[in-house]
Amino acid sequence: MLGRHSRLIGAVAALVLTGLAAKAGEITAYTSLEEDDIRVYLQGFAKAQPGVKVNVLRLSTGDLGARMLAEKANPRHDVIWGWAVTNMVDPRILEMAEPYKPAGIDKVNPAFKDKDGRWFATTGYFAGFCVNNEILKKNNLPMPASWQDLLNPVYKGQIVMPNAASSGTGYLQIVSLLQMKGEDKGWQFLKDLDKNIAQYIKSGSRPCKMASSGEYAIGLSFAFSGVKQIMEGYPIKLVIPSEGAGYETEVSALMKTAKNKPDAKLFLDWLLTLDAAKLYGERAEMSSVPGAKAPAAVLKAGLPEDVSKVLFKMDFDASARDKDRIVSEWKQKIER
Amino acid sequence: MTDTLRGAAMPAARPSRIDSDRVAGLVLAAAVALPLLLFVLLPVASILKLSFVTPTGLGFGNYIRYFSGPKFATVLSNSLVVTAVATAITIILAYGFAYAMQRTAMRGKRLFGLIALLPLFAPSLVQALGILFLLGRNGVINRNFGLGIDIYGFWGIVIADVLYSFPHAYLILAAALAVADARLYESAEMLGAGAWRQFRTVTMPATKYGVISASFVVFTIVITDFGNPMVIGADFNVLATEIYNQVSGQANFGMGAVVGVVLLVPAALAVIVEKWVSRHSYAVISERSAPLVPRPNPLVDRLAMLYAALVSLAIATIVGVVVVASFVTLWPYNMHLSLRHYRFEVQNGIEPLWTSILVSLAAALIGMVVTVIGACVVRQLSPRIGRPLYFLSVLPAAIPGMVLGLGYIFAFNNPANPLHVIYGSLLILAICNVYHYHAQGFLIATTSVKQIARTFDEASTVLGAGLLHTLFKVTLPIIWPSIVSIGVFFFVRSMVTLSAVIFLITPSTQLAAVSVLMLDESGNQNQAAAFSACIMAVVCLSLGAVQLLLRYTGGKGSVLR
Repeated sequence: MLGRHSRLIGAVAALVLTGLAAKAGEITAYTSLEEDDIRVYLQGFAKAQPGVKVNVLRLSTGDLGARMLAEKANPRHDVIWGWAVTNMVDPRILEMAEPYKPAGIDKVNPAFKDKDGRWFATTGYFAGFCVNNEILKKNNLPMPASWQDLLNPVYKGQIVMPNAASSGTGYLQIVSLLQMKGEDKGWQFLKDLDKNIAQYIKSGSRPCKMASSGEYAIGLSFAFSGVKQIMEGYPIKLVIPSEGAGYETEVSALMKTAKNKPDAKLFLDWLLTLDAAKLYGERAEMSSVPGAKAPAAVLKAGLPEDVSKVLFKMDFDASARDKDRIVSEWKQKIER
Repeated sequence: MTDTLRGAAMPAARPSRIDSDRVAGLVLAAAVALPLLLFVLLPVASILKLSFVTPTGLGFGNYIRYFSGPKFATVLSNSLVVTAVATAITIILAYGFAYAMQRTAMRGKRLFGLIALLPLFAPSLVQALGILFLLGRNGVINRNFGLGIDIYGFWGIVIADVLYSFPHAYLILAAALAVADARLYESAEMLGAGAWRQFRTVTMPATKYGVISASFVVFTIVITDFGNPMVIGADFNVLATEIYNQVSGQANFGMGAVVGVVLLVPAALAVIVEKWVSRHSYAVISERSAPLVPRPNPLVDRLAMLYAALVSLAIATIVGVVVVASFVTLWPYNMHLSLRHYRFEVQNGIEPLWTSILVSLAAALIGMVVTVIGACVVRQLSPRIGRPLYFLSVLPAAIPGMVLGLGYIFAFNNPANPLHVIYGSLLILAICNVYHYHAQGFLIATTSVKQIARTFDEASTVLGAGLLHTLFKVTLPIIWPSIVSIGVFFFVRSMVTLSAVIFLITPSTQLAAVSVLMLDESGNQNQAAAFSACIMAVVCLSLGAVQLLLRYTGGKGSVLR
């Protein structure tokens, strides 16, 4: 009995000391990129820098933020990789980042990088509606093309939208509308829209999934979730609102506390190379690095060839600064 | 109390035994208290103190802001009502089920026992998905019968949480109903008491403690659960989702900690009420007990089996529909069978499954030792030391996983803490699981221990056995079946839990439940279902293996009772 357990104890004890210290040739990256994308990007990086191993921890945007803030006394990662800029500009996070200008940063549009060099964007995603063709047909509903269309009373109880207090996606959708229309008209629009909303969902990707499974006709989400559900085979059409889509960029940064700065810098440099840009074209709907080109399957799923034409120009400084106020106003005026 | 007796019976051995007993008692009390302080109180305190941190310095600002907020009263009453309803339903359902399992001679007990535990080892996503596949607006029932059921909101949370907490209640109630003194029933029968009167005057009082413990556990599970309200609760907001909103949605630990404190209040009240009510509970098994063996009774057995079958069917359908969905091309649009969802396109593929098994085995082992010794020791101690220890032991039930997980980061990612070497290891994952589910394991053990009369221990002491000797020779053998089920409980919870460990995983310690979450987040619901099916298969196989091992080594206990 004891013998049986002592072997187990030994195994556990051996594992106590795994994954602790940073080793030369290894870096740790915290990211919120999608799993399958991570794998492809890392294969690309391994070809360029076979000597550097990237250990990746992937959590959802909000959970990763909570983890980084909780670990602040003793950060465990060398780089932040592909994380929402709205969260990155939180001053408590920004002060952990070391200014660094990776090779090739000059090619990046100023809108996609911090003026002090603490972060730069590589990829991004933008708002999209996931519309279930079957449910639309069954209920005899027209296909919406814009935010304005969603106010049509025929959609009452058929639209799901992320909750702005729990989901970054939800916040981004409402802040883009408020910036687009001005606060007075914007809030009025959200109140009108509220009449048609069946549920405010606490996660940003779930509305699209609920539209996919046919629970509701329209899920307000992000374009990439629609593209993925279409490629998976769901009867979904991706609609990009004609007023312009609010968007989010995914940024990377070097940690002041990085234990292996030289390799971390090699990694950040690679993120802006042409090789990487080619991969962004295949995997992401927008890229800050010139040279990305979307493959046919993605275009077929409804992504525009020139993304910049469908985007609404966001003011990220304002959206980060106003977050507390807007969320509590949203809770007061809209949340049920 | 027994000093005179002891003195009379064993005058010569007295001094040395008393000393070694006192030392053993102190050592055991310390051994129980220290880990609880380290792994429960320290992490919780380190996060709760954040509730006093405001932009303008320390103070009650966060509390004032939260209590004066517009939604506070609604959210609090939502939480209390949904929890009360779900708790009442769960306890009634689980008591009937445990009664059928322990007190009747119905057939099929092994199968029913396994199915009753299914929700315990199905990742939480499975239940939510299963309920939506069946009862959602586009679910099997609405699509085929057009009933127009809208499951989202209050009743959705109640159904999902009843399912989720059912096995927890069942395990505690089964432990309470497992032991009984046949002589009591014989006397009742001889005195002419009918079945109902026997139930009311013998069974109910003897299992009162189990019912109260189970109610406490279910109450705290439901009030702290945020997974089900997130997926199926629609706009019905509860305290636990508020924490998620504050911490993950807005990176606001201070306000999240305030909600955490609010959550602790009803749970702490539940502990006090429980202690107050159970003060008069008495032991069922005494030195003159005769074990109760359920006698066959065709009518009762058939009714019991019908009831158990109905409950099992409901549980199995919810889980089963997800397993079926994992084998079709695209639920519900393309129902052709396919294995395509079993090619896992996730980092490290199926590898995290093995990590999870290792962590779960460690958690089972540590959990068994910690909770059983804890229950025995707390019972032996004077109330002055025993009560705070008891409170600490059940406190984790009131702590939402997210708060516990973040608390572990604050406590153990701190170079000033000598234990910080375990941060980032598999061991911290196992320990976190043990203390996350400590209350449940502890209460199963306590429920069993409580039923053994003190006279047993005293007799053992009189005969010259020390505290430790009594523990190993008397107490443990009697509650052995419960010990095994405690180990099983920790194993299966560790295989599927997510809310706390999600904050403690590292690149080299990925867990299976996290892979399920990631597959789901990246839009691959079907692959997530398939991965969940693999987890459930592993758990079922492990349970079978333990069962075989027990039989092979001659043990009488059954993992599933």
